[in-house]
Amino acid sequence: MPQATGRADATRAVVFSPLDGAGRAELVEQRLTDAIVAGVLRDGERLPSESELARSLGVAVVTAREALVALRDKGLVLTRRGRDGGSFVTHDRDASMRMIDARVRALSRIELRDLSLHYAAIAGMAAEVAADRASDDDITSLVEIDARADLATPGGARRAVGRFQLEIAAVSQSPRLVHEELRLQAEAAPLLWLCLREQDSRDRSRTARLDVIQAIRDVQPERARRVTTDHIASAVEWLIDEKGRLETPASVHEFVGGPAPTDPAVERKEGARQ
Amino acid sequence: MSVTVDVSAEHIARRIASTIDPVFAMIDGWRDVLERELSGSLAGALTGAGAPSAETLDPVVAALVNPELERDGSLITGAGFVASPGYLADAPWHLAWWLSGSNTFGAGPDPKLRRLEVVSDPDSEQFRDYTTLEWWRVPARTGTRHLTGPYVDYLCTDDYTVTITTPVRAGSEMVGLVGTDLYVARLEQVLLPVIRESGHPCTLVNASGRIVAATDARRATGALLRIDGLVEALAPLHDVVSATDAAALPGGQTVVPCGDTSLALVLEA
Repeated sequence: MPQATGRADATRAVVFSPLDGAGRAELVEQRLTDAIVAGVLRDGERLPSESELARSLGVAVVTAREALVALRDKGLVLTRRGRDGGSFVTHDRDASMRMIDARVRALSRIELRDLSLHYAAIAGMAAEVAADRASDDDITSLVEIDARADLATPGGARRAVGRFQLEIAAVSQSPRLVHEELRLQAEAAPLLWLCLREQDSRDRSRTARLDVIQAIRDVQPERARRVTTDHIASAVEWLIDEKGRLETPASVHEFVGGPAPTDPAVERKEGARQ
Repeated sequence: MSVTVDVSAEHIARRIASTIDPVFAMIDGWRDVLERELSGSLAGALTGAGAPSAETLDPVVAALVNPELERDGSLITGAGFVASPGYLADAPWHLAWWLSGSNTFGAGPDPKLRRLEVVSDPDSEQFRDYTTLEWWRVPARTGTRHLTGPYVDYLCTDDYTVTITTPVRAGSEMVGLVGTDLYVARLEQVLLPVIRESGHPCTLVNASGRIVAATDARRATGALLRIDGLVEALAPLHDVVSATDAAALPGGQTVVPCGDTSLALVLEA
């Protein structure tokens, strides 16, 4: 049955979609950490039970339990016993910022660029095909997603980007592109859309969205693809700049008192120290 | 073949209709059972007296749809009843929907017949007002059956799907609808041999002009068929279930509605 269920919010649906690969407890932990840090899962929200979590992620119950214990140790989740018990999100903004910053530092520039390239391949193709296949109803639902976007907060802007990209994939009529979009959103979105912390980027994300809608309305597949991939490219440029800022030693940062330098030598030095 | 293209087209269109008609008949059958149960002299025969409730109605719906979902070779992958908001005393928003074993969404390693889990609390962030969606909106407006799709059902089954829904009434009030999901891949498998029989290039489209199946490999399922005059020729299929008049397009193609399926066959000149 279409669009009637607990997957109404696509960015949240992503969080509980099945996982592939080894080190599954770590993957579960990373997926939920990203979602909590990004504000997709909110402070005080109750997480699915161990068995529900295991089923939706496609892992063993013991794996889900292991991941929840790790989240508890990180202080991201609180477990209460009793009738109204369960695991609840405890979202601390500062702790979240520190955690995502650590993740940005841990990944190399090459890995970040590669991740964004992979995502652009999927999202760009979806936009290209969508421009050829969108019906009037499809365009209406894209316009509605844009109209509902909350650009005042990073979380709101990110949810809007996620929903829009997923709808584009659906409009392309390809189950595989939809599947890849969901998978890559889970993996890449918390990092890639970090730029939405800034109002400027949030406004630009809206402009890109309106451009894509117009390209689809005009049946211009090439333009729809280009706007989409350009948007992703500018997001990763911001991210790599941000990585540079994070990796600049604090003393230099204070001394300069302005935008942090992105000298590769500084980055190497910092990287070596870790 | 000595018959003209037009006769052949009508024949193929009828064959397509008769492939899908059993699904329509099945849904209509479910609707009839529920309508008898929910109003009139036989009301409450299966669920007992009192206001209609999810608790008593769900087992009735399960008994209707489950055998069909479990039948070998069944075309359908999901089916059930969706209530009008506020109709059921114990469940203001309610979906009684089951998925077959061929539907692998969220099924774990061993897919079998199971109920679709939904969020029916309107205060939840996860809640979605289903009355805004095409499979509800259109039959609620027209009062009659509607075929939604093909579309990627990413919020539910993660697959390429057609959904057919029809209103259920108690007296003159629409109290919900019954419906079913079909995988487009499976549908194409069944319909392609039929449209190939014409021995003539032809394309099966829905009321929006979206391709369901085509003899021409360059016409992909899911793409929109862009031909002069097609949108206008398909317009009657949006609201009228039994549009039957064939239409000729400026480019020489012929558009033949397939019975009351809301699908149409487009034949090259």
